[in-house]
Amino acid sequence: MTRSNTSLYITIALVLAGVYLFPLYWMYVTSLKGGSEIFANPPTFWPRDAAFSIYPEVWARRTMPTYLTNSLIIASGVTAVTVLLGTGCAYVLARYRSIWIDIGLFFILMLQVLPASVMITPLFVGFNQIGLLNFPRTAVVIATAAKAMPFFVVLVRATFMNVPRELEESALVDGNSRVGAFFFVVLPLARNGILVCAILTFMTSFGEYIYSKSIIQDPLLQPASVGLSSFLGPNSSDWNSIMAYSAIYVTPILAVFVILQRRIVSGLTSGALK
Amino acid sequence: MKPLSSLRDGIGFDLALVGAALLFLFLLAGLPLVYNVLMSFQQVDMFTLNALIRPFAGFQNYIDVYRQPEFWLVAKNTFIFVFFSILGQFTLGFALALFFAKDFAGARVIRGLFLVSWVMPGLVVGAIWSWILAGDFGVLNAILKGIGIIDSPMFWKSDPSLSIWSVVIANIWLGLAFNMLLLSVGLAAIPRDIYEAAELDGANAWERFYTITLPMMRSTIGAVLALGTIGTLQQFDLFPALTEGGPANSSNVAQFWSWQMSFKLYDFAKGATISVMLFVIVLFASIIYVRSTRHEVRG
Repeated sequence: MTRSNTSLYITIALVLAGVYLFPLYWMYVTSLKGGSEIFANPPTFWPRDAAFSIYPEVWARRTMPTYLTNSLIIASGVTAVTVLLGTGCAYVLARYRSIWIDIGLFFILMLQVLPASVMITPLFVGFNQIGLLNFPRTAVVIATAAKAMPFFVVLVRATFMNVPRELEESALVDGNSRVGAFFFVVLPLARNGILVCAILTFMTSFGEYIYSKSIIQDPLLQPASVGLSSFLGPNSSDWNSIMAYSAIYVTPILAVFVILQRRIVSGLTSGALK
Repeated sequence: MKPLSSLRDGIGFDLALVGAALLFLFLLAGLPLVYNVLMSFQQVDMFTLNALIRPFAGFQNYIDVYRQPEFWLVAKNTFIFVFFSILGQFTLGFALALFFAKDFAGARVIRGLFLVSWVMPGLVVGAIWSWILAGDFGVLNAILKGIGIIDSPMFWKSDPSLSIWSVVIANIWLGLAFNMLLLSVGLAAIPRDIYEAAELDGANAWERFYTITLPMMRSTIGAVLALGTIGTLQQFDLFPALTEGGPANSSNVAQFWSWQMSFKLYDFAKGATISVMLFVIVLFASIIYVRSTRHEVRG
């Protein structure tokens, strides 16, 4: 490929990415505009006098620390449950080939496709009957973990498939138990893949909405997604506040994504279609 | 001591690892699914919500749901939402995947940037699009007007004939990157020399695409379309953020309708019934998905 060709392609690629990511840009730009400028017609594509004052204001007025703390608690809980239960499962499913493994995988693939909107009614009624609704954040954590786990297992299984069997077998010959070989040989080798999938699980459950909205009634326990929905609506007009709230909410996720982009993309591409 | 040593060294170890996860999934996903079907045949209201044994309703819930005046509207909207979301996500995603398959410096990094849409919370995506699509001050209307496509602003969210399209547009944006990524994986797996041989034989770009790319990508395309259908039927967050199914159900779809029945009207039986209907559709899509990935699953 010639040099001019390459730079032409890069230019086109950047333009495409720019068009595609315009909504993100629009979120940040709107959040910096003043109350009257957001209603300018035609809209300004660069804020006339950018002001960051909306950020601390929204942060305090919408009690964002409470919401974000709840999001953190829920996402950490979901990630912990998913990683603890899902890793071992993915390992076993990667190591053997038999009809039972196929059945287990099929079961997990089928659970991956269940819409949350199908699951929320029976979960809510069932949780209500066993009294779990009195611990709403716990209820959301285990419900969301069940939703996140199939995808995690499928991705981590691909990671384990890349760990050579021979290393594990020689560890067994050297006198390790299966438990020892798993913890001291296989897990360290798969560590990076598991970590990326755990971060991915964390990011998706950080934005979880439907279970939290349905199960958690107390605003002090709700996550940031529910907090955002409470000031969205057909008649919402303080768009700069909404966009500032959104920006505070997603910027950490975006930052983590951009930093880990290469690893996340390669983790997804190796596992997503298998 | 035997079970203990098996747990440490034998088959018990594998069974414990896989069993814990499967038991958890069974309790939190398998059982609720069965319970959902059961509830769709029961009378469930605020009085019997906590009862373990409820009156049997037969097919009454299904008949009631079918007789709802909005039933066909919601069915039509669900179809529009799924079909056009997939059409947009897939064609645009495929075009982008083909473009980024050209091996230039930075292609992978720039392609990866597209994926930020996929990690964003659905509700935030909905909020941003709600603002972009706003009728009076939305930037999309301003752009369309600026390049002369429309004369007067389109009220994307509040015009009943447009409202479903506002959610479709947002959903295409949300799903596009994932489609592109999966299709890129399929494209990368096609050996380069086939194209070179075809080029020597004088096949033009369209012929190469039609006779090499498409046939070689058959299982990938099947999986992507099925996954897209499943993902679109799972999409919930955009509805509360954009239109709340309105105005007058003109943008309501099965997954949101089911939730409204349960959690706005507290009619849990109808909510369960609608979600069973939805699940049957998802089941069809997932059979296609599992079939198309079947040979890859074992490898």
